Parts: sequence; structure tokens; C-alpha cells
Amino acid sequence: MIDLLGQFDNIRFYLLGPYPKGDIGGLALNIILTILAISFSFIFGALLGYSRLSCRRYIKLPCMAYIEIVRATPLIMIIFWMYFFLPYLVGGHATIISSAVVSLSIYAAAYQAEIVRAGILAVPRGQLEAALSTGMSRYGAMRHIILPQAFRIMIPSFVSFFVSLFKDTATVFIIGVIELTQAGIIISQRDPDKMYAAYLSMAIGFWCICFTMSHLARRLEKRVGVFDLESIRPDACRDEFMLLPKQKKTGEGIEESTACAPEKPV
Amino acid sequence: MIKFIAANKWFKNSHVLKNINLEIAKGEVIVICGPSGAGKSTLLRTINKLEPIDDGEIIVDGMYISDPRTDLTALRAEIGMVFQHFNLYPHKTAIKNITLAPRKVRGLSRKKAEERALKLLEKVGLDHRQDSFPVQLSGGEQQRVAIARSLAMEPKIMLFDEPTSALDPELINEVLDVMTSLAREGMTMVVVTHEIGFAQKVADRVVFMNDGEIIEIGSPPDIFVNPQHERTKEFMSSVFHIPIFSESQEEE
Repeated sequence: MIDLLGQFDNIRFYLLGPYPKGDIGGLALNIILTILAISFSFIFGALLGYSRLSCRRYIKLPCMAYIEIVRATPLIMIIFWMYFFLPYLVGGHATIISSAVVSLSIYAAAYQAEIVRAGILAVPRGQLEAALSTGMSRYGAMRHIILPQAFRIMIPSFVSFFVSLFKDTATVFIIGVIELTQAGIIISQRDPDKMYAAYLSMAIGFWCICFTMSHLARRLEKRVGVFDLESIRPDACRDEFMLLPKQKKTGEGIEESTACAPEKPV
Repeated sequence: MIKFIAANKWFKNSHVLKNINLEIAKGEVIVICGPSGAGKSTLLRTINKLEPIDDGEIIVDGMYISDPRTDLTALRAEIGMVFQHFNLYPHKTAIKNITLAPRKVRGLSRKKAEERALKLLEKVGLDHRQDSFPVQLSGGEQQRVAIARSLAMEPKIMLFDEPTSALDPELINEVLDVMTSLAREGMTMVVVTHEIGFAQKVADRVVFMNDGEIIEIGSPPDIFVNPQHERTKEFMSSVFHIPIFSESQEEE
């Protein structure tokens, strides 16, 4: 416990890394990396996901290929590729931070594309027909009718993906970016006896941000989800979906509990 | 107003519209009936090109449907459409549902569009529900808002695709009343419906379709009471659950 409190001496290094003497790092860098990767991949991913829906094969197939290849590759591979390839591509001037941002964006775009595609497909076809039949253009129907609804459907998936992307920024420590993980490793190596305290501090750092993100997202969901009172209720709990025996209140409950009992192996 | 000239349509291998020839005059109310899968909805949807035809031509208010130079937006703006499942925009309030197209397509100001929308909501008896979201409205109310939404574009033709089929029985009449008053005002209407009572009261002509073909066209009594074709007789007797029509019905 005391060891953990002792980590407070290093709190600046955890949060900001070598800054102001050196580049910004620590938890702040994780946040910056996440924001940059999300912004780039949102644009790229939305385009990919949208194009993936095209009926034209020469548009659809490359997008499918990209998505399937990236999703079937570990993030750490993409990070290494970009670390070694990017300097070639831009003529040797790539920093490790830019390699990190590019690889995280490439990785995130594939996932965001699938979220966008699923969201657009989840909007009932009748909505598009209704909009077109009032004389709206395809673009207008997309912008005013389909995308606003698709976006609301996408929010939960986006948030869980953002949270997981934030945690994935820890992976870029492997190419020497001094983000929270790398900062913790540096601190732990200064004082190997208190290694567990250092790792625990990193975990707390990640948890604080992730928890805040999920919490904000739940509030956002509530605010924009008003149009569908039936299904989008983030706080809802549904006992009828549970495969557990119901609580025994009346005689009926007993039958329920036997009905749900796992089958005995023969 | 609408003229089908030898229109044909295929879905993959099935021939869903077979050589359709039909002329609908301005101000006429046409009811299309027939068994399910007869191509009624498809026929309706070809009029505003939600379904393109593969052969033949449809002329709507002087515009040739299959001419690629025809401005689809302009064509559809002249044709209102009401769907079986209402298809209101769930993320917009009733009044926003109505004002969207007039503002974006006709370029009306917000104030003008809202004035028009309120008038229409009053007409369908829903001016007090202008700020409700679709989920807060009953099926009948949603369908009336949907009718108001189509009327907001001031169309020359209104298409109704089974507008009461998804409604509870006691909500049907409120929608039919709106449609009846619309017909009385001289709107050109093409209605796919199973509401025989409505058809008898309002329709100028009834089109009976089966298996992608128009079997019979005639006045409501002709089709409902004195059908000529064997298939129409069969259908009508199954709809009315009685094999022969009594004379009192004919007088109506």
C-alpha cells in the first residue's frame, strides 16, 4: 500500500512522461494517440464502410479486402510494419509517434468501417423509400434520414470500440513510444522492488479514462436515443433474456427452474 | 395523368408485371385489388420509379418514366406516396417529418413550411400532436401524419400502398376518412387496398389483378358484384365469404 502511495512521487511522469524537458508522454500521450487515431480512422473508416456497401465490384472488393486483411492481423504486426515501412514511404522522416498514429488509424479504420456498414444496414429500407418518394435526392435522404438514424444505432458499438482502442494504444510501447505503459516500465526498472506498484498504477490510469468514456457514452446514448423508447435504454435489464431459473416465488417458479436445468451428460 | 403502355417487369426469372396497359385520368380514384403476390404493390411502385420497369413505358404528367433524362426528383415531388408501415422518420417530430421535404426539395423557408404543415395536420385532425415523435403516436395517427407528409409536397397524384393493412381495426376508419375527403377534393389517387367498403364508396374504377396481369377493370359494382372473369369471381367470393351477392348490396 505504501509502495503504491509512493508512486505519487512519479505521478508527473505517469501522466505527462518526460515533458516539459522532453516530448509529451505518459497517459496524456495515450489520450492524444487515441484522439488522433479515432479522428483519422473515423473519416477513413466511414468512407470504407460506405463504399463497402456499393454494388460496383471495383469499389466494393478493394474495401472488403482491406477490412478483411486488417481485421485478421494482430495490431502489433501493423505497428511493426508501419515502424519499418513508413520511413521508406515518407523518405526517412517518420517519427515513432507518427508510425504509432498511422498504424493505430489503419487498424481502427477497418473496425469502424464494419460498424458504419452495420449501422447503415440496420436502418429499415422503408426509410429510404419514404425519403425518395417525397422527392429527396439520394444524397439528401442519406444525410437527413439514413445517417442520423444509423449514427444512433452505431453509438454503443463506437464507444466500446473507442474504449478498446484506447487500451490498445498501450501496444505502441513496443516501438519505444513513452506512453503510460512505457513510462510505468521505466519507473519500475528504477526501483525493481516496487514493480507491482508501478504496474498497478498503470492499470488505475487506464481504468480511470475507460470508465469515464463509458460513463459519458451512456449519457450520450440516453440523450440522442429518445426516438426509440422501446429498444434503446442503456440502463434496461431484462430478466426474460436470462437463461437462469426464475426466482421461486410461486408454484410456477419451480417448474421454470427444472425447465432451465442443464441437461445431464448421458 | 398516368398512362401505362405495355409495361413489363421481371424479378430475376419471375414475370411480375405482364403487359400492363392502363390510363388514369386527372382526378380519378383507382383502387387496385387482387390476391397477394398479384403485383399490386409493384404496379404502384413503378409509377414513381421506386421499382423501374424493364419494358414498355409509363407516362406520368407528361414525364416519361424510363427516359434517363427525366428528372426523378421532380417526378417524385409530384407524386405523394403512403406506405403500409407508415415509414415516418423516427428521429423527427411529426411536424419535422412533414416540413423536411418541402424545405429541402421545394426550398421553402422554415416558417412557410411549418405553416403549411400545421394546416395539413389540422386537416388530418392532429394539430395537437405536432411535437410528438412517431413512437408516441398510435398507428392510425402515424398513418395520418404520413399522409400529411406526402401532401406537404402538394402532389398531383397520391399513391396508397395498403395504407390500412397494418392498423388495428378500430383505427382504420380514421385513415379512410382522411383518404375519402382527399378523394372528394379531386385528388388523383391510386390505392392498393383490401377495404372493399372504401372502394365502393370512393373509387371511380377498380382494377383487379392476378399473377402480374390486369384481369378486369370496371366500376366498383361491376367488379365486386358482377365480376365477369372466373378468377375475379373466385376472389370476390372468398373476400366476402359468401358465394352469391344479394341484390341489396348491388343497390348500394
